[in-house]
Amino acid sequence: MEIAVLFKVVPDDQDIQVKADRTLDFSKAKPKVSEYDLNAIEEAAQLAAANPGSKVVAITVGPKSIDDSKLKKNVLARGVDELVMVADDSLDGLDAYATAAALAKAVESAGSFDVLLAGDGSADNYAQQVPVQLACVMGLPVVTAATKVDVDGAAATIERTLEDAVETVRVALPAVVAVTPDIALPRIPGMKDILAAGKKPAAITAEQAPVACATEVVSCLAPESADRKLVVLDAKADGAIDEFAAALKAAL
Amino acid sequence: MKALVIAESADAARELSAGARTMADEVVLATFGEAPEAVADKVAVIAVPEGAIVDDAADTLLALADAEGVGVVLVEPTRHLKTVAGKIAAAKGTSTITDVMSFADGAASALYFGGVAERALKPSTDFAVYTVGSGAFADAAASGANEAVSVDWVAPAKAVELVSVAPVQKSGVDLNKADVVVAAGRGFSEEAQLDMARELCDKIGGGLGCSRPLTEGVDWLPRETYIGVSGLMLSPKVYVSLGISGQMQHMVGANRSGMIFAVNKDKNAPIFKQCDYGLVGDIVDVLPALNAAL
Repeated sequence: MEIAVLFKVVPDDQDIQVKADRTLDFSKAKPKVSEYDLNAIEEAAQLAAANPGSKVVAITVGPKSIDDSKLKKNVLARGVDELVMVADDSLDGLDAYATAAALAKAVESAGSFDVLLAGDGSADNYAQQVPVQLACVMGLPVVTAATKVDVDGAAATIERTLEDAVETVRVALPAVVAVTPDIALPRIPGMKDILAAGKKPAAITAEQAPVACATEVVSCLAPESADRKLVVLDAKADGAIDEFAAALKAAL
Repeated sequence: MKALVIAESADAARELSAGARTMADEVVLATFGEAPEAVADKVAVIAVPEGAIVDDAADTLLALADAEGVGVVLVEPTRHLKTVAGKIAAAKGTSTITDVMSFADGAASALYFGGVAERALKPSTDFAVYTVGSGAFADAAASGANEAVSVDWVAPAKAVELVSVAPVQKSGVDLNKADVVVAAGRGFSEEAQLDMARELCDKIGGGLGCSRPLTEGVDWLPRETYIGVSGLMLSPKVYVSLGISGQMQHMVGANRSGMIFAVNKDKNAPIFKQCDYGLVGDIVDVLPALNAAL
């Protein structure tokens, strides 16, 4: 079985700084795989292991900065056989429409796949729209919120966990499947995996014909922080717990 | 301009129809069950055929949008309808602007990086699709004659087959409506320790929620009680955080609370820079004493 797993590279949100004018400074934030996409990569690896003879190709598009050797090894050390990356500054800050257009071309250049897996949502936008838009561009069916994927022959049986129900659905392959973080816990790659990752095939290309975004960002500012009292007590100090309890009672 | 509202729940149908009224001359509401009374000019009840998923109603709704000459679509952000929104946006060559919290000057405001920032976004296309959370149109009033429009199901080219549906067992607590919320985090090292948090809930009349680690992986608390990015976004009167460091991904779901109380053993935890009252100590020592003091 040919499995594609789509992932997004985002700045590490732990290192995003908020400047005095409330704008964001990404200069210290290193590129990393968006957190829940690691779960999708793990599911791809497990699906491949359950179906001997399978191949996993991880695919992403983004600005030139995503072409980072540590990041590439990190992806290839997680049961991924090949990496396909379109790294071009014309692909920075794309919306779902433009991302799907770029991804569709990257997927088509990478081969033909039975299953295209994606994560639940990206750390930056969490719009949960790219898998749907990609499926539309490629003329494929899409299933979101997947918590279990079983492939048999030319179809997959998928359990999807919604707000108030679990649906079991059947979809003909090829299909795009967006998985929730619960589906698989990402592995911690060992030294051997990381060393082997450096020898796996990775195709890094530039974008030839970028598609324009359909939305524009008017402003992006950190919220004004709420005015909090910031009374912090040491629990071991005399009367601290009583003072805390009294404040809590008064607030109810 | 005409607006199309797509909603599964009656509350969202009412609120989004009211909001659509502020954006458009005519409001068409599409629902999957009975529509609330007098909320839109026209109402289309979509009958999803047996064996089909709600997500696959996109083609039907697209046909409705085209027939009515709709320019803006407001969608309730459920799992089903987010797929519907994405398919409609793709067909119209645009992107859905998701989880909108408010609209101002033609731009829609939504969280970026789970709340590190708020972005205002505008469609560059003539056709706009938004998913809108509850509260965005809290002040708007819905009105309309609810004229029935009949809609035929348009099957998608590649349908997904619904095999079975099982309801999720809910914990019964709706934290969205709770005035007091107690949230437990990674500071709880054993499931049995949660009884101390439950006792605190009993003392102060709170509902128990958690940060992500307690529902994902260990499964100590139900998934629908998880607070933070992609989980609950709460604004209770009082929020008590126990053994939670206060990472942004969690705090975005709690930082609109009236008063924030926090217990954590690490005095440098970010939670202590975002609370009204903080107590530095291990929950194992602090909670029995706190419960006794209340």
